[in-house]
Amino acid sequence: MRVVTRRLSKAYGFLWAVKDASLELHSGERVALFGPNGAGKTTLLKLLSALLSPSSGEIEIDGARLLPGSSGLRSAIGLLSPEGYLYESLTARENLRLFISLYARRREAREVAEALDQVKLSHWAEEYVSSLSTGMKYRLALAKWLLLEPKLLLLDEPYAVLDGAGVDLLEDYLERLCRGGGIVVMATHHVPAALSRCSRAIILDQGRIIFDEPRQEPWESFQRAFAAFLPRGR
Amino acid sequence: MALFRQTTWLLWKDLLLEMRRRESLVSMFFFAALLLFLFHFAFEFSTERAAEMAPGLLWLASIFTGTLGLTQLFQAERENHCLEALLLSPVDRGALYLSKFAFHLLLMCLMELFTFPLFGVLFNLDFWRLLPSLGLFAFVGTVGFCVLGTLFSAVTLKARARELLLPLILFPLMIPVILATIRGMEIILRTGELEEALPWLRLLIGFDVIFLTAAFLIFEWVIEA
Amino acid sequence: MAQIEQKGLGRRILGGLALLFVLLGLYVALVQAPPDAYQGEVQRIMYLHIPSILVAYLSFFIVFVGSCLFLWKREKRDDTLAYAAAETGVLFTGLTIVEGSIWGRPTWGVWWTWDARLTLTAILFLIFVSYLMLRSLIEDEERGALCGAVLGIIGFLDIPLIHMSVYWWRTLHQPPSILRPDKAPWENIHPSMLLALAINLVAFALLYFYLLSLRFRLGEMREELKRIKLYGGP
Repeated sequence: MRVVTRRLSKAYGFLWAVKDASLELHSGERVALFGPNGAGKTTLLKLLSALLSPSSGEIEIDGARLLPGSSGLRSAIGLLSPEGYLYESLTARENLRLFISLYARRREAREVAEALDQVKLSHWAEEYVSSLSTGMKYRLALAKWLLLEPKLLLLDEPYAVLDGAGVDLLEDYLERLCRGGGIVVMATHHVPAALSRCSRAIILDQGRIIFDEPRQEPWESFQRAFAAFLPRGR
Repeated sequence: MALFRQTTWLLWKDLLLEMRRRESLVSMFFFAALLLFLFHFAFEFSTERAAEMAPGLLWLASIFTGTLGLTQLFQAERENHCLEALLLSPVDRGALYLSKFAFHLLLMCLMELFTFPLFGVLFNLDFWRLLPSLGLFAFVGTVGFCVLGTLFSAVTLKARARELLLPLILFPLMIPVILATIRGMEIILRTGELEEALPWLRLLIGFDVIFLTAAFLIFEWVIEA
Repeated sequence: MAQIEQKGLGRRILGGLALLFVLLGLYVALVQAPPDAYQGEVQRIMYLHIPSILVAYLSFFIVFVGSCLFLWKREKRDDTLAYAAAETGVLFTGLTIVEGSIWGRPTWGVWWTWDARLTLTAILFLIFVSYLMLRSLIEDEERGALCGAVLGIIGFLDIPLIHMSVYWWRTLHQPPSILRPDKAPWENIHPSMLLALAINLVAFALLYFYLLSLRFRLGEMREELKRIKLYGGP
């Protein structure tokens, strides 16, 4: 899989949220996206998932342009956000069944049960999502993507929401996804955790990409170069 | 086919949520009944006048109640950003439109099934024999209301003062539906037959077909996270 | 710079012509044309009333065309045209209603009557107002343009149906008013009155297009300002 963005830009009113972002992502890459608050990380993720349409520039996935109408491409993209994306008054299982059918995947009840088991939510299968904690909701969303098998997975601040066990589950899944040829892009403030696990680091500042390097040896010099570019909040 | 399947799943989701939260239907019932009460205080009714005014009052009550329902139509999606979840998925935007349209149509029909007999009871109107033809007109009119109502509910989703803006936009556009439904029902009550009211019925059906098509095609540009 | 001056020149010529014709039209309407056999002097307001309603409908047509073009090509100019036509249109529609009311008072003794034409004009006015309210209450400009275009198209498609329903309602219910709404007034008119009407029609059209061009230019300047702020420099 190949994701290419060319001079991707998004403006809100008189301000640029993302400006001239040009990237090329390949199968197996695990990208960590850093930057201070307001740098445009969430906007970039939303652009990559076609939730927002760019003010200028374009995105191509495997040679095909990503447009608001590209339902085929959208079915391979996943977004894990702390905002939930689950229906509160439906049970965990009902949410999974709904999204499975919307994504036109065939999953048997057994597979759904297995996914819930993997994220340690089996006991909560028949509970309304409103009674789950934030971390549990994130795990349920993770179960959703386990079942939907996206090839490009975008994550927004996962470490802020998950506890230790949840993080392990997530890391496990991300590793499997990358080994299977998928691409992961994770936006986060947790620099040490993300930096040590990524294969490539990107820093956004005021909408522009100011650092984009694959992880390389020696580790210490890479860390130093990285730290030099990382803006210390404004 | 895919569109039908997706529409059915989305409709199932809305029906399930409505049964659990009971936000819309029950409030719509009681609001409509309340309006009928207020109408009685507002106008002096004799039985003859009741027959004359019934179509207008019934339809106005429907429209006002329906408009309140429309402001709630995308409520479940607005919480937890589920609208983004749906837009993220490969679901056809047209399926989202059809499911919301069908859901609101169902709510309004249920509300009217309750309101019409209630009107007959409260105002001593003997129209029970005519209820089927009155119901036909009300149904076709309600379809017209829901067709544009669903579209503009999505249009005003993120506008300021949307509870005021939605009726401001919708009501002038609804005038053919309002006139046709009320005049048609009035003719039925007066003559006891559907015959004379047919031109109005044709107008309503034309309205429904034109705008269902137009709204279905346009919806994908209008719905946005 | 020369280009801008040239544009301004075209507008100024249009404005000059409009002024000329308006003055000519006023003279012909108020002084030269003979008074009506039945209604006397008050009938002269027809020379203003009919052109202004025609221009109001023309305006909505322009809103429709601008909206269609915008939805198709997404060029901001088309949206600016639609918005300008809506603002100019609401002005002329309001004017028509006031003129109709002024005509009605001495003729029928009332300030308002629910005859088909006045009712239809009032409905057109309401639709224009709802368009303007929609545009001003949606904060995101891109979305506002899109939603405005949708309303412009649906509104235009609805107008024939509104006409049909209002005419049926009036003719099936009330005896024809003195002003026979189904008969165009110019079918009974003396040729010199027809000339006065034609001149005023041209005058109103010129005035309308002049005001439209001013408002359009305002919209374009606003877009230019936005471009400058976003891209830093013209």
